[in-house]
Amino acid sequence: MNAPIRVSGAARTLALTLNGRAVAAEVEPRTNLADFVRDTLDATGTHIGCEHGVCGACTVLVDGEPARACLSFAAACAGAQVTTIEGLDDDAVTAELRAAFNREHALQCGFCTPGMLVSSRDLVLRLAEPDEARIRLGLAGNLCRCTGYAGIVKAVASVIADRRARGIAAGTAPRPLGPVGARAGAGAEAAASLKTPEAVRATPAPPARAADFTPAHSFAQSFDLAFPKARVFALFADIREVAACLPGAVVDEMPDLEHVVGGMKVKLGPISTTFRGTARVTRNADTFSGVILGAGGDGRSATQGEICYRVLDGAMPGTARVELTVGYTLKGPLAQFGRPGLVREVAGRLIADFAAHLDARLKGAPAPAATDGGLNPLRLLLSLLAQRLKALFGR
Amino acid sequence: MDVTAPGEGVGARLPRKEDDRLMRGRGQYIADIRLPGMQDVAFVRSPLAHARIRAIHVPEDLKGRVFTAADLNGVKPIRAVSGLPGFKVSEQPALAADKVRQVGELIAVCVAPTRAEAEDMAARVELDLEELPALHDMLEAKKPGAALVHEHWGDNVFLETLVNVNIEAAFDAPVKVSRTISTARQCMAPIEGRGTVVHLDHRMDQLVVHTASQMPHIVRSGLAECLGLDEGQIRVISPDVGGGFGYKAILLAEEICLGWLARRLGTPVRWLEDRREHLTANANCREHHYEITLYAERDGTLRGIDCEASVDSGAYSAYPFSACLEAAQVASILPGPYDFPAYRCRTWSVATNKCPILPYRGVARTGVCFALEVALDALAAELGLTPEVVRFKNLVRPEQMPFDNITKKHFDSGDYPEVLTRALAVIDPDKVRARQIKGEPDGRRIGLGLSIYCEQGAHGTSVYSGWGIPMVPGHEQAGARLTPDGGLELRVGVHSHGQSLETTLAQVAHEILGIPVARTRVFYGDTAMTPYSTGSWGSRVMVMAGGAVATACTELSERIRRIGAHMLQADLAEVRFAAGRVIGPHGDVGVNEIAHTWYRRPQDLPTDVDGGGLEVISGYKPVRDSGTFSYAAHAVVVAVDPEIGEVEILDYVIVEDGGVLVNPMVVDGQIIGGLAQGIGTALYEEMRFDSSGQPLASTLADYLLPGAPEVPAPFIGHMETPSPYTRFGVKGIGEGGAIAPPAAIANAVNDALRPLGVEMLHSPVTPRRIVEKVLAARAARARRSAA
Amino acid sequence: MKPAPFDLVRPREIAAAVALLAAAGDGAKVMAGGQSFGPMLNLRLATPSLVVDISGIAALKTAREEPDAVVYGALVTHADVEDGRVPDAGAHLLKRVASGIAYRAVRNRGTMGGSLCHADPAADWVNALSALGAQVEIAGPSGRRWLALQEFLTGALSVALGEGDLLVAVRVPKVPASARFGYVKHCRKVGEFAHAVGALLVDPAAGTARALMGAIDAPPLVLADARDLFGGRIDADFAARFDAAAAAAALHEAGVIDPVDRHVHVEVLRRAVRQADGLFSPDTRSAA
Repeated sequence: MNAPIRVSGAARTLALTLNGRAVAAEVEPRTNLADFVRDTLDATGTHIGCEHGVCGACTVLVDGEPARACLSFAAACAGAQVTTIEGLDDDAVTAELRAAFNREHALQCGFCTPGMLVSSRDLVLRLAEPDEARIRLGLAGNLCRCTGYAGIVKAVASVIADRRARGIAAGTAPRPLGPVGARAGAGAEAAASLKTPEAVRATPAPPARAADFTPAHSFAQSFDLAFPKARVFALFADIREVAACLPGAVVDEMPDLEHVVGGMKVKLGPISTTFRGTARVTRNADTFSGVILGAGGDGRSATQGEICYRVLDGAMPGTARVELTVGYTLKGPLAQFGRPGLVREVAGRLIADFAAHLDARLKGAPAPAATDGGLNPLRLLLSLLAQRLKALFGR
Repeated sequence: MDVTAPGEGVGARLPRKEDDRLMRGRGQYIADIRLPGMQDVAFVRSPLAHARIRAIHVPEDLKGRVFTAADLNGVKPIRAVSGLPGFKVSEQPALAADKVRQVGELIAVCVAPTRAEAEDMAARVELDLEELPALHDMLEAKKPGAALVHEHWGDNVFLETLVNVNIEAAFDAPVKVSRTISTARQCMAPIEGRGTVVHLDHRMDQLVVHTASQMPHIVRSGLAECLGLDEGQIRVISPDVGGGFGYKAILLAEEICLGWLARRLGTPVRWLEDRREHLTANANCREHHYEITLYAERDGTLRGIDCEASVDSGAYSAYPFSACLEAAQVASILPGPYDFPAYRCRTWSVATNKCPILPYRGVARTGVCFALEVALDALAAELGLTPEVVRFKNLVRPEQMPFDNITKKHFDSGDYPEVLTRALAVIDPDKVRARQIKGEPDGRRIGLGLSIYCEQGAHGTSVYSGWGIPMVPGHEQAGARLTPDGGLELRVGVHSHGQSLETTLAQVAHEILGIPVARTRVFYGDTAMTPYSTGSWGSRVMVMAGGAVATACTELSERIRRIGAHMLQADLAEVRFAAGRVIGPHGDVGVNEIAHTWYRRPQDLPTDVDGGGLEVISGYKPVRDSGTFSYAAHAVVVAVDPEIGEVEILDYVIVEDGGVLVNPMVVDGQIIGGLAQGIGTALYEEMRFDSSGQPLASTLADYLLPGAPEVPAPFIGHMETPSPYTRFGVKGIGEGGAIAPPAAIANAVNDALRPLGVEMLHSPVTPRRIVEKVLAARAARARRSAA
Repeated sequence: MKPAPFDLVRPREIAAAVALLAAAGDGAKVMAGGQSFGPMLNLRLATPSLVVDISGIAALKTAREEPDAVVYGALVTHADVEDGRVPDAGAHLLKRVASGIAYRAVRNRGTMGGSLCHADPAADWVNALSALGAQVEIAGPSGRRWLALQEFLTGALSVALGEGDLLVAVRVPKVPASARFGYVKHCRKVGEFAHAVGALLVDPAAGTARALMGAIDAPPLVLADARDLFGGRIDADFAARFDAAAAAAALHEAGVIDPVDRHVHVEVLRRAVRQADGLFSPDTRSAA
């Protein structure tokens, strides 16, 4: 079998074609195509506006088709044909668009314009009719903050109308299946893995802690266990036992009965982080209730959370009902997304897992093998985050 | 042929000169600047909204590449003081030392060969922060006992103001309508963020600061103050700028840090704001809250307006506009284009743990227009009158012009009712209302909304000296130089970042000198090359810089005429300048030849020729600098889906009067661009915060900007009532497009939903908010009918 | 906004990818077109030590027609579907869904397999293919297996892929000629993620219906037998009998407790029902 092509964290030489010219240059795997053409190849006509694929300023042609240069890693485009605005100087369609843009006042500050022209050119080639609604849909991925789009839409429509009148039909060029620009990386050679130096990985910072904790978000859940109240409550007294039911949780030490130092490895989709911190555990035997108040950080984001539990008699004799109130606050980059999504469904699923693990524990089963489930305020936070993140990644 | 190209002067719909380079990827934006040895910068920013800094741990191996406040010897904080009585001063440090007051506040600066590596370093700096209670709600922050953003103030109010003009006289009005109306915090979001590249020019002994700015001269003054340098030691260059909208009309703490760094390291340094920094740490604007009461007669005549307005000013006072310009403006402009006898407005500029509030296109006018126009529709509904009847009753009438309104704003000229009349004629309310009654087959509801505003632009010394902020505009200057081959160079201190000045100022010059626009070059954006100016803001550029260019060109034309007279061997009194030629009794001579003679063949001129030559710097102020008042009526028809809350704009009509238009194509572009931003304010854009002061949008997927499908092409009608005070009668129009849409759209939604008992009083009007109110109204009706 | 450092490896064959993933364990992440993963890397929300870029694997860039299904390779892009370079499982049905995903420049690199593995509850393929009853094929260290998409989607951003597992293909049953499909998503603006998705695959001739309500902060709620939403039977007049209360109850059961959310999801499903019934133009803003 062919050896895979490996580009290590250190730079490796990348070869591709930029604006018809073969180029080869060193590139780090993390360097996106926009930075590569701008900083390494000095083609600064491609602009960077958001670096998460929404604004469209970085749109370039990859293998002849529009693609987001900010979401295409250069190393993943080895061997590709990349065309930036500089490469469209003599392109006939772009020349017509430039004339129309100028006539219709389709640009003001000009920052979105290179990406806008690349997307417009694609529309001119593909749209059969100068249909305004379709042109607007087709331009939806290129934000302009200056013009209000009216001139752009008119310009694109006029070029389409003109070309169709000249008998030039719309169509898409034949192409192979799969992502544009994705070739097997001809010319690159297999390289041994070079470990990214440990020093550049983020190290956890001590969490910031507020004296009085009022959670920004909270919800309540409950579940039933087929064991008496006292036994269930006793299990909650053993924080190591409880932690064993939380996959990802590590108890490093317990300086005293009330304090726990540890960490929580949290994984959700591609997000994976470890929050380290401390928790304080308090219990009230009279009311069969307790509070676990924790704070942790992963170096960039900080979280605080509390779980208030209360064990009640179950509906049937010899059973118990556990009521949980989970509250949390998340701060830092992980918190700064727009959609305070509801996590009840996720919470319900996780609490079901937790209940199952507790149940197993009470039955004397060994600590559950690590699974994806588990009640954990941090996990819930990350679940919440997932809801928020769908803004970005709903593709 | 060296003179006049027909149809290039004031009023010509001339395509832009600047387009070609921008369409070929040859613009030079801040991120395109390359300097040898340039290092990239990333900042460590506060993850918390309010905290005491206990310690900043910089790993040993990063020392010398990561700097904190402790390193910034001699760097002064940003102080943007207002002269208004009672204003409390904030000091915004370049890097926070003791306390952070907003998420994203700068704590440390990291320098590396690439931005990625600088971010790696930033991730390794550990912060030990003691969290303090965060103020995320200005109404809470105003209350006694709230946590304090600036402890020594004793409260969280930058400034409280009160205007009262006989409000008591309105209290016996037969009709009184009160509403609580508010606008969300927004981000300006030009597609290009801020950015700064700084290097040392040893030859000139200058710190050269390339920065994406609307006001390079003001940035220079601010930097000199904060860095403790002479202004002459700093040169600020603002290259092509990818949109500003007010966001680039401030001094940034980042600019100060980079200025310090370049001097400390001796290498060029660069910081490019990324979108997360832009949204979460820097570019906030607009958050207003109004308690507004209208007093009126039953026929809709306004008897008075009483208002309490709060503006969330954020943690610091931004330079140069200060933390209170916005609220102070609210009090002075809330009356809008209306004439009524009694008025009271109390305002608070409230400090919170959020980004400093910055001026955004329209500044306070968008919020004010929203509050007043939405309240007027509530009044119309209360009275059973149409919205247009209430407006016609109260608009300032043309025969009253010029008119001093209740807050002493001097409306220069215009026919306010006429723009409304014309807008109504296009939108056709009868037709819309008939359709409304008929109902839509898809269950949506149709609504018609109006709003009107007048916009003070290009207001100068007399207005700004009263506010006492760090920047007071005086005379605007322009340089005009004839080149030896008869071309024209103009130099202006304002900036062009979409305003099309390379074309329009050349048109102004053409109007005077007759030199083809193609042979005219406009230089701007460099403190070393241009006359001092407060820059591009406040819808002032065409009035002020246009006036200055006209003044300089007029003076230049006189110089040309004098030299021409010598060449024609005629008496000065016998020659005149017209269309690029000096015409005497027995012949004429063109500017090319005159320039050639002055520069290249001085021996042909008499020794007593005026030594001033063919280069002029001249200053301009309008006859009266209280501002031009452009105005417009917006009328919109929407379709609202009450079940899922979607709002579709079906028709949008704008009739505006911006005085004499230098380039109608450019003016239309400004209006439509403003409309797009206004639609964003109305329906999409919102920077929310959670209770701990965390901003809840860090990407453009969270912070929604309108795209092409969301912005309809409007009908635009023009009136051209000249301003009596300005050169050519032009008025400022740069911001107007963004002022009226939120009010007009909310009014249209409310018109659509009023039969359901729903009224939207907060912008943006989101689907979620609509459905919440529709369901609540439905439930209330069900309860009533059950009872 | 630059990613933390990572190594990148570009296998050319499925087996190599599986071996790499199995060997690298937790720190490795698969990248296909990178249109969802790229932003997470740029924002440093994801900080893998190794990115396995599968975009160069030719065997994943395929599509084949079976008698009653179409099998799409994991790397078939949204644009491949939109442009008709692959067979459609229903007449223009997937094409319509594909053309509504994000933006063209994203569709040219974003892949069907990548989108399903990302498992965003608001994503189009997650919802549309769940409504159509798709299956996914997974290659792993111990061989290949098929899984119903509903079982594959275990939660928000969470799927049933173990270490070394790679999604290699998606099998979408062909939609019978007698069936109709309604698919409506509710977005605030074009290209934005959906706040609600409603879908209905209905075959009045066969008397069957399958309904979906998606973007509920969890994998979509699929009613494989949706007759209860239509008074217990499906016939030519099914749309007139749409039972909003039954749909709301199902949502409530699925944990959607916010009444406003529930209302919107039911209304969006109602629009999908109307669309399937041909009463609602598929070209409205809210349609794909």
